[in-house]
Amino acid sequence: MEIFPALLSVITDPSLLFAIVLAAVVGMIVGATPGLTASAAIAMLLPITFYMSPLFALAFLYVIGKSGRYGGSIAAILFNTPGTAASAATQIDGYPLARAGKAGKAMKVATISSVIGDLMGDILLVIGVGFIAAIALKLGPPETFAIYFAAFVVIGSVIGNSIVKGLASALMGILIAMVGLDPISSEERYTFGSFDLSNGIGLVPLMIGVFVLGEVFAQLESRRKATGETQENESTAEGNNLTWEEYKPCLPHAFRGGFIGAGIGVLPGLGSAIAAFISYGEGKRRAKNPEKWGKGALEGVAAPEAANNAVSGPSMAPLLTLGIPGSTIGAILLGVFLIHGIQVGPTLFLTDKELVYKLFACGMLGILAYGLVGYFGATQVARIILRIPTNVLYPLIFLTAFVAAYSARGSMFDVTVMTCAGFAGWLMRKYDFNVAAFVISFVLAKGAEETFRQSLLMSDGGALIFVERPIALAFLVIGAGAIAFRIRGIMKERKIAKGALDDA
Amino acid sequence: MRAYAEGLVLALISIVAIWGAWQVPAASPGDTWAGIVPFSASIALLFLSGLLLLSAVRQTAGDTGQEQDNGATLQIIGLFIIALIYQQSFRWFGYLLPTAIAAPIVLYFFGVRSWIGLALSVVLCPLIFHLIFFVLLGVYPPYGEVFDLLSWIQG
Repeated sequence: MEIFPALLSVITDPSLLFAIVLAAVVGMIVGATPGLTASAAIAMLLPITFYMSPLFALAFLYVIGKSGRYGGSIAAILFNTPGTAASAATQIDGYPLARAGKAGKAMKVATISSVIGDLMGDILLVIGVGFIAAIALKLGPPETFAIYFAAFVVIGSVIGNSIVKGLASALMGILIAMVGLDPISSEERYTFGSFDLSNGIGLVPLMIGVFVLGEVFAQLESRRKATGETQENESTAEGNNLTWEEYKPCLPHAFRGGFIGAGIGVLPGLGSAIAAFISYGEGKRRAKNPEKWGKGALEGVAAPEAANNAVSGPSMAPLLTLGIPGSTIGAILLGVFLIHGIQVGPTLFLTDKELVYKLFACGMLGILAYGLVGYFGATQVARIILRIPTNVLYPLIFLTAFVAAYSARGSMFDVTVMTCAGFAGWLMRKYDFNVAAFVISFVLAKGAEETFRQSLLMSDGGALIFVERPIALAFLVIGAGAIAFRIRGIMKERKIAKGALDDA
Repeated sequence: MRAYAEGLVLALISIVAIWGAWQVPAASPGDTWAGIVPFSASIALLFLSGLLLLSAVRQTAGDTGQEQDNGATLQIIGLFIIALIYQQSFRWFGYLLPTAIAAPIVLYFFGVRSWIGLALSVVLCPLIFHLIFFVLLGVYPPYGEVFDLLSWIQG
């Protein structure tokens, strides 16, 4: 019940409330702008949070992440361009509704469903996180390493089109994290005699490079392929209003989507795009009017929107209790915790319990903030986005990336790292490698190495310790199972594709 | 061809990583080797590069891969070179002068053709970024070893 005093404390702090509302608006705009992601915005703002209190910084970025997920639906419905990958499922029914002059109605369904899903996710997080932390406190190094291993494998193999490239991205993230002095023996690794490299590669410049500069490079490439201008679909007066009778059939889909999203959110790496598509598929399967789905059904907007926003809260559970970020936004938030000297993991609930619950409270208020702004002003936000000149916006983001990378530690080496990471990030995107797996593995690698080597010391060098302990073995099996499951899925897809080709 | 290139680049990275891990001195008694994780990861990466090469061999000869937009790639390489020169010039000329030069170039790259806009960016971009980061946030600006415009302005 720690959440109630935390909510009271946040509500009575005007500066924090202002930060939450500001973050809700910023997140909406960023999420709704095609090509801009909440991860990029958060990475760019990360150095500024050095100068804020930990709660202020975390709340600001956390709410941008939440609101950014919701903002993606604005672009999906109004412009037929999903602002985020997670809102691609919303586009299926959202855009036909907009074409029929019901953009306002679709936006309101998306807003209410997002708020329902997101609040469900946060409530489940508040209820469950304490239990997970209590269990996590009892885990030893072998079990923790096995969880890390499962996270690497799931993140590497589940996201993206290729298992091999996903796992290779994760391994490259691990190798980059190994640069510098070994924290246990202080031996140099991959420094090649460079003093700068002996300090290791910083998380902030790497993230700014991959998410911000890499995105600018990608945008430069996509500008050549873009055709025509984006236009907003106008709503008729009737198409702008939503009645209770119209939303009532959407409610079961929103609640189901909320549970699906929350369940998927706890698993590292799966993310909101998968949750949205599963919820859409499940919703269509159970719908009374499946023939209308895909042609402009309001329920087809409610189901994926509730699910993709419900991921946000539960994805914080592995981050806060085990130090394992389940998403790129989680990885950046982990950076904020580390910058402010807060150790994330099971002990967080012993040392900074108040901060954690206040952060949850900020998240809940952030949901209400973006809900209100979105319900009454989503179309206005869309008009702002249409007025943003992208040929000016991306050069400004380019210049900001350099000064932001420098500001983090006042280090010119960080700026060089950011520049190289930006180019590498673009190359990885271009050749279908998995950027999210790369960054999350970079963040996880140090913790995984520490627990791995502690386990080896415990067992006097024997790797059998991971098999002898049942919980550790269970997580290793989960990792192996994730790969097997994914390979089976790919084989099935290939078989179907081959069958379709043969039929043709 | 693309699949071969991906596999070969990955194999090269993993071989360099194995060599790098091999340079880590042996562990002292009772300790674990500091190179164990980098070595294992690079071996795994070499294995994956082998899988990529194997799948490249299996691809049919007629599959030539995706059509490449060489113009866009060249533009991005051009922007990357500008980025490298821009960050390096912080060390030589501080923040203001390189930003005043880079801003109109990058805007031009993204299609801005208004001469007034480009001229304004020469003054406004360094000024606004300087005010936000080095005045408001109090970050100490990078000092130009060859010539520093900020020091010159401040006398």
